[in-house]
Amino acid sequence: MLVQFYNVSKIYPNGVKALDDISLKIDRGEFLFLMGQSGAGKSSLIKMLFREELPTRGQIFVASRSIVRMKRSDIPKLRRNMGIVFQDFKLLENKTVAENIAFAMKVVGSSSRDIRQRVPEVIKMVGLSGKENSLPTQLSGGEQQRVGIARALANRPLMLIADEPTGNLDMETSLGIMELLYDINRKGTTVIMATHARELVKQAHRRIIILENGRIASDTSHGELPS
Amino acid sequence: MSLSNAVYFVREAYKSLSRNRLLSFATISTVTTCILILGMAVLLTMNAGRFMNRLESDVQMIAFLDKSLSQGQINSARADIEKISGVKSIEFISRDESLAELQKTYGSEYDLEATLGTNPLPHTFKIEAHNPQEVPQIAEKVNQVVGVYKVNYGQGIVERLFQVTRWVRIISVAFIVVLGAGAVFLIATTTRLSVFARRKEIYLMKLIGATDWFIRWPFFIEGIFLGVVGSLLAVLLLALGYGALLQNISSMTLVTLISDTVLLGKVYLSLLAVGAVLGVLGTSISLNRFLDV
Repeated sequence: MLVQFYNVSKIYPNGVKALDDISLKIDRGEFLFLMGQSGAGKSSLIKMLFREELPTRGQIFVASRSIVRMKRSDIPKLRRNMGIVFQDFKLLENKTVAENIAFAMKVVGSSSRDIRQRVPEVIKMVGLSGKENSLPTQLSGGEQQRVGIARALANRPLMLIADEPTGNLDMETSLGIMELLYDINRKGTTVIMATHARELVKQAHRRIIILENGRIASDTSHGELPS
Repeated sequence: MSLSNAVYFVREAYKSLSRNRLLSFATISTVTTCILILGMAVLLTMNAGRFMNRLESDVQMIAFLDKSLSQGQINSARADIEKISGVKSIEFISRDESLAELQKTYGSEYDLEATLGTNPLPHTFKIEAHNPQEVPQIAEKVNQVVGVYKVNYGQGIVERLFQVTRWVRIISVAFIVVLGAGAVFLIATTTRLSVFARRKEIYLMKLIGATDWFIRWPFFIEGIFLGVVGSLLAVLLLALGYGALLQNISSMTLVTLISDTVLLGKVYLSLLAVGAVLGVLGTSISLNRFLDV
């Protein structure tokens, strides 16, 4: 079991109840969609996975370790097991494609040799060979998200967490990104993806969790969306 | 810290410094000004302190004895004075010695003994205290010893002198504290701006799994660099200025300045260290808030 939530609630200091008694389990190698309206609690749940937020009540285990009781100095270790993909890509604009990916490896202390070897690998994996030296501003939205995914993969994470990765992209580009995520999942990486895009989810035939007002409204394993 | 990380940290610090060239320049010149004034205050305090110490150590008591005392009474008075706590030394000066001393200051033109007929001076004790500040209290006790009829130590002047030295010290320390706080504030502002310019990058680094120290190092190097370069300039200016002062003032015998090169070297090194500490302090004030992700 990779992720376990036990009766997790999150109430923000301003009184907003983002999550209400959530319990769920995610296996290694799963592909999971997290759906729901804005404000349903998707972002809070995602942020708890990499401990940007702590729950007000309840327990969360990632790879059998409690992230609630985790020491501050152990947080970097937790996050190195995860690759995070953002809706707005969060690429460093003054760095090239290759430098953006190398940066993520440098930051966790990889050796220069590892970096030289791994960067071209992940660039090829996301289909951006030939664009190594382009700056993010010279790329399309879809290409920029591919760089974001390559960066998330560079440190060989156990799981990929994608928060609305196609939120800023058109349908056709989104489908390309989805293919890439399925491919990554097939190679063994757990993928957790929060999204609004019902069209993408419908065709996926994967596990779907729908959040409503901070509670799990449905958890289906084969992509049946309630109408 | 591995070598490749160290190189990375220094390069990041350099990039950030050259990106904010104008601000870096402004910070360095402010640190220079602060450390320069700080250094001047330190040298002034040290020299004033030395001057005051000299004046203070010149403070000694002269106890005048009754003329009619026998040698035995003089000895017992001496023993009584030696028992008073805080007395460092006591020296007996006979009336004949005092007259001879006085005769010396008048030179051979006047024959004092012939003029005066008899020696009018009493026997005296020259008394030194361990701590010059205690002289008034000790003098009070010496005055009560049998056989002593008067104690002189420059009453009034001594008390004033101590008051002046105390205020010089207090004001210098206050001055130094205020200036140091100013320098820290400026470095904190510089760091805050360069942290702010990189806040997205810092957030990203945190989420990728960078340790706090990996993120901190470039900023600390930047802060220490600003502090040390600023204080280095100040020390150079100070050493040049003080050196010139030493050369020009050495001919005046009234005031002697501290010219011990080892001591001055220590002062200059300490000022450099202060610059580095200011850099570290300023940086840490700005940094911790942004790392809480």
